Amino acid sequence: MMTQLAPLTTTGERDVATVNQQAYRQKLRRRRTVVRITQAAVLAVILGGWQLFVGSDPRKVILYGEPSGIGSQLVDWVQHGTALGSLGAQIAVTLEEALIGFAIGTVLGIVSGVALGRIRFLADVFSPYIKVLNSIPRIVLGSVFVLAFGLGIESKILLVIVLVFFGVFFNAFQGVREVDRNLIANATILGGSRWEVTRHVVLPSAFTWIVASLHVSFGFALIGAIVGEFLGAQQGLGQLIKQAQGTFNANGVWAAMVIMALVALAAEFLITRLEGRLLRWRPPQLSGPDL
Amino acid sequence: MTSSLHADRSGPAIDLRGVTKRFTTPGGAVYTALRDLDLEVAPGEFCAVVGPTGCGKSTTLTLVSGLERPSDGTVTVHGRPVDGVTPGVGFVFQNDAVLPWKSVLDNVMLGPRFRSVDARTAREQARDWLRRVGLAGFEDRFPHQLSGGMRKRVALAQSLINEPEILLMDEPFSALDVQTRAIMSNELLQLWDLNRPAVVFVTHDLEEAIALADKVVVLTAGPGGTVKDTFRVDLPRPRVVQEIRFEPRFVDLYHQIWEALRAEVDIAYAQTTRAASEAS
Repeated sequence: MMTQLAPLTTTGERDVATVNQQAYRQKLRRRRTVVRITQAAVLAVILGGWQLFVGSDPRKVILYGEPSGIGSQLVDWVQHGTALGSLGAQIAVTLEEALIGFAIGTVLGIVSGVALGRIRFLADVFSPYIKVLNSIPRIVLGSVFVLAFGLGIESKILLVIVLVFFGVFFNAFQGVREVDRNLIANATILGGSRWEVTRHVVLPSAFTWIVASLHVSFGFALIGAIVGEFLGAQQGLGQLIKQAQGTFNANGVWAAMVIMALVALAAEFLITRLEGRLLRWRPPQLSGPDL
Repeated sequence: MTSSLHADRSGPAIDLRGVTKRFTTPGGAVYTALRDLDLEVAPGEFCAVVGPTGCGKSTTLTLVSGLERPSDGTVTVHGRPVDGVTPGVGFVFQNDAVLPWKSVLDNVMLGPRFRSVDARTAREQARDWLRRVGLAGFEDRFPHQLSGGMRKRVALAQSLINEPEILLMDEPFSALDVQTRAIMSNELLQLWDLNRPAVVFVTHDLEEAIALADKVVVLTAGPGGTVKDTFRVDLPRPRVVQEIRFEPRFVDLYHQIWEALRAEVDIAYAQTTRAASEAS
């Protein structure tokens, strides 16, 4: 975080300020180093403890896996491929399902959220249906989709869409309803048509809400793809996990999880970038600790 | 403006006759904001509306702008009954109503763009108006990067670029500090002089009202506010807002109008304290 000091008037004060600023920066840097070292220590304790606890006892390895085994499993997959084909192909299939479903679900969610938020009649007609749909545990639909659309990626994409849609929809809907009445009145008096007001006032305002929902929604997209693959698939990380589980390969389950974590982190990074771009009009936040 | 080509120029710019406005509160109760109100503003006239809190001052503006319809009575603008958002009207809100996600220039361009003026002309006009309100060089800033006074200037430019024949202002300067407020009042008078729209300026600051207006209308305490009295302000123009309050004639007028206003303020105050004691 950059800290801006108020401009000072006399040169003497400025010198003092420079010294203070340097000392302050140094303090910040030292603090950051301490945090990093502690983080590494926490990781070392967890992995080391795990490794020591399992202690290469074959029965425990089967039950709990071990960090070194997870590492060699990953190396093995990268070098020789998995039982289902190359590791890259498994990641690609899961990502494809998650991304296509995420894109469609997000667009559908935004369009219907904005439409229902703007058009009272639609909201009145559809609200009971949406409440019912939202109340059922949607993950069950995965079985329906696998039965109806088979083991290919279509059934997973559908499950992802269903999981992503509602989060985005409710945020878009709420975002539209929270738009400052003054802004709408102002744009209307300036001569904006209903569509122009939606485009220039309602959408940008609602985007604060919508973008916030994307973080959670992408998590749901990955869950949808993986669970869809659990329920029946020929390829993908979910299928890989299921197979590892079936062969008592705990290391394999953990290794697939590590890969998923990396994918999720990369996606989170991209969404945060997108957020920064879309919401760059906002005043910089005085932030607390970042998580 | 094309939209008001057929408007009647000879009569009053704004004419409210026997206007009553009722709202239904979320609890289902009916609240009367205005009762049997008559108000007439001539073209080019600067009319200030003062009254205690809750007397329906702001409601008057939303009726003229067409954002709300009267429950009873008629609202006509240039001889035409108001039906939907009135064309040729500008509105400056009490709170910021500039779009925070658009740059200053894009904000001011909104009006022309909504009227299908091409982007280049709109940009030229917007730059021109930003210069007039003293914001040249701030085109690319976002509203949050400006001070409260500067944001008000953006709001003024945003309204005035449409060259409204009627300018409605709802306590536009109430959120500003005293000095900025005096400066903005002066600049408002200069900008008003360019096109001379009819102005309805709602405020509860009597000093501000007299310094700016040709006519001060005092409303009675709400609920169901109506016109108590109308005073003509015959102070010469151009006026300097910071200095005019020392003129004997200003002091005279202030005394007269305050006489009318004080009783209403007392009533309104008694109501709020009673409501507070009932609530507690």
